[in-house]
Amino acid sequence: MTNRTKSMAEPLLALKGVTKRFGSLVALSDASLDIMPGEVHCILGENGAGKSTLCNLIFGVHVPDAGAMRFRGETYRPSGPSDALSNGIAMVHQHFSLVHDMTVVDNVILGQQRGFVNTKAWAQRLEKLANDYGFALDPYAKIDDLSVGERQRVEIVKCLIREPRLFVLDEPTAVLLPDEITALLDICRRVAAGGCAVVLVTHKLAEIKKAADRVTVLRGGRVVARSDHPADEIDALVRAMIQGDVKSLDKSAASMLGVTENGGSARVAPNETPPREAVQIDALTVTDGQGVTRLDKFTLAIGPGEIVGVAGVEGNGQSELAAVLSGMATPTSGRVFLGELETTHLSPKEITAAGVGVVPEDRHAVGCVVEMSVAENIFLNRLESFTSYGFLRRKALVSAARELMTRFDVRAAGPEVPFSALSGGNQQKAVLAREITLPKLSFLLAAQPTRGLDVGAVAAVYGHIRAACARGAAVLLISSELDELIAVADRIVVLYRGRIVGNCAADPREREHIGAMMAGQVQ
Amino acid sequence: MTNVTASPPAKPSWLGLLPRPSVVISVGAVLAAAVLGLLLIFAIGVPVSDAIGAFIDGTIGSPYAIAASLNRSIAFALVGIGFVIANRANLVNVGGEGQIAVGGIVATAVALYGHVAGLPLGLAFIIPLIAAAIAGMLWGMIAGVLKIKVGTNEVISTLLLSFIAVWLLYWCVQSPDLLRKPMTSSATLPESLEIPDPTKLPLLTGDYSFPVHIGLPITVVIAVVAAIVLTKTVFGLQLRAVGFNPVAASRAGISYARMVLASLAIAGALGGLAGGFMLLGDQYVLKDGFSSGYGFDGLVAGLLARGSVVGVVAAALLFGFLRSGGINMEMVAGVPTALVMVIQGLIVVTLAGAAFFIDGRRA
Repeated sequence: MTNRTKSMAEPLLALKGVTKRFGSLVALSDASLDIMPGEVHCILGENGAGKSTLCNLIFGVHVPDAGAMRFRGETYRPSGPSDALSNGIAMVHQHFSLVHDMTVVDNVILGQQRGFVNTKAWAQRLEKLANDYGFALDPYAKIDDLSVGERQRVEIVKCLIREPRLFVLDEPTAVLLPDEITALLDICRRVAAGGCAVVLVTHKLAEIKKAADRVTVLRGGRVVARSDHPADEIDALVRAMIQGDVKSLDKSAASMLGVTENGGSARVAPNETPPREAVQIDALTVTDGQGVTRLDKFTLAIGPGEIVGVAGVEGNGQSELAAVLSGMATPTSGRVFLGELETTHLSPKEITAAGVGVVPEDRHAVGCVVEMSVAENIFLNRLESFTSYGFLRRKALVSAARELMTRFDVRAAGPEVPFSALSGGNQQKAVLAREITLPKLSFLLAAQPTRGLDVGAVAAVYGHIRAACARGAAVLLISSELDELIAVADRIVVLYRGRIVGNCAADPREREHIGAMMAGQVQ
Repeated sequence: MTNVTASPPAKPSWLGLLPRPSVVISVGAVLAAAVLGLLLIFAIGVPVSDAIGAFIDGTIGSPYAIAASLNRSIAFALVGIGFVIANRANLVNVGGEGQIAVGGIVATAVALYGHVAGLPLGLAFIIPLIAAAIAGMLWGMIAGVLKIKVGTNEVISTLLLSFIAVWLLYWCVQSPDLLRKPMTSSATLPESLEIPDPTKLPLLTGDYSFPVHIGLPITVVIAVVAAIVLTKTVFGLQLRAVGFNPVAASRAGISYARMVLASLAIAGALGGLAGGFMLLGDQYVLKDGFSSGYGFDGLVAGLLARGSVVGVVAAALLFGFLRSGGINMEMVAGVPTALVMVIQGLIVVTLAGAAFFIDGRRA
């Protein structure tokens, strides 16, 4: 773990003592870093360690408060993202910037060309590029119709088509399937082989093993470790990242990280005999505006204290299922019961009142109002309980929020900072805090609850989900991470094209079998 | 990610009472615009001292001038506050003009033909005022219902509803079957009868040389209540939530439909009340075009204030005095109306520019 970069070659990008503050928060402190051409350089760190800030400085979103950057041997002070782009630096952000009403190819063309546009030529270029990197991408598909994973591929293609010198990916694998991750890492290697430098922000160690040439570890905004041989030093890297030992980690969280080889067995034993079904879903069918059946006679019963996992490649009906169960959409047919109460046609408010907690897949669009404060967000669904004579009891709200933030380990400068100031993991913990502490929680619907979270946060999320389940709530866990489902759920149903194609115990030995069913290979 | 571009109402200052832009820059902007305006007046050959004198006479030159300016400000403030409230829910209510018009029509109708003149305890004017507010509220709610049911953009609907209301007003004062006073000769003007004395708003001082009516304290109370509702109540918080992220708000059980309807209803009611005040407070006779631009200037006051109720009040006062001074400059010093409006426009632009400047400095 020594820094042995006695670079004979000139670094492509060099950061020297870079510091960035946001108000009183020091996001990045005296960070120094060399990125060499043709390498895959991983930035490892927990949420809030300063990874995104680092990327944003490189990409010109923020200006450093101190320190200097050099790019290709010259002083580099980007005035903004467009400046970074024209220097040959491209970035895939954690949150996408796509125009939803437009097609893939239109989104790629945006900002790349003026005057007349030859869409067809672009589409061909796009297909070729996607092909080269082993992606399938329909250039004429509308972004609205794509899954999160597919949208990310559009973002990646948008960057690669510029043939960048430095390619930055901020937590790119969080939304991808195992196969897609392998493909992405493969792309990274190929891009690097072409002489371009790749900066890959991640907290998954398995990816580092597979793809990284060098690793820089951030913790609390500081560079705490560097490694030129990351594959051999994984344990040391984890210790540096979390300032603790791998052994102390939640086992299922560790399996998610790729630290241990397989998960399972870490889960609390399920309640012996569920007395009565807490949730009964009957032949739920959703047909979209174009007449395509998105969810086909989905039938499932979940007992109190049971965790049922829904496995499947994204876009196979999970979003529709979650939307109906949370009251955001009406099914074409079918019924949903919560105990004796039918909730099929209830509003989100009534469903919440009935004791259904929802951790939505898209935290930013559905889970929170980023412009409002953390406290307001934590109690967004029950602000009324903090009133007297119509007035908001702000002090009570803030102190209740502070308590929940401590309990759920939501790290922020305080309950009154804007939600947008929180890192992704802390935002998710806050959403979870809101939904799990719902009075009379009887059903928790969690869709991709650990997407984009770091180890510590993942372990915390699992802990809270299990705690809710131990208190008798039925849990439906929708995830595209098979390891997560195996580690956390009691049993797993597999969704393929809107239909349940399999139903089995959450056993690591079923892994291959489930994977095959997810791919539609039903025997 | 921290690329949150704050949409319309950025975080309100404490209680929403302190306008965020530093006062110095705003005042400087107004002064700069005033100097530019004076240069223009000089350029067209009107003696600058005459123009300044006329402006001062028309604004603070006499108790009467001050009162007239304050009465004008009331209408701007009410429409502006309504705009700010709807804007919290990310709605843009440009229908102030129409809401004033229906408020004025209904206030006149009730005052003249509602048998209220004999009622005790001020009910003679309170009932027409309430009727005006209700009329404005219903007018605003039409846009709300259209938005909820069929998704009509409220900018379009409130604007078009304004045209309808303005022509409704024209019809009311033209048709003897409606509010036009009885035709005694062909020279009878297209206007209503004068409303009965008991239905006129009482003056604060009871003295016609300083004719500020009770609309002023009522408006101050409304401004304070609005500031409190927006910052200290759950309703204010829910409005913001819906304005920032309707999907997340709806998931959290906040009804989008209810918030849209409520905020447009409140904005409409305030517009209607403004119309009632104008009619019962200083015009007394319903005439075509009585609202002449008050709704749109009120909207500008709301826009300039950028979410702060105190900002609205300040902008409303500015506009009220500007309009009075402008009218006097035109009548006494012979400055063309068009030029007066150019100067007003200059002030709006420099203020908006100053806000931009202040934001840039804070970022």
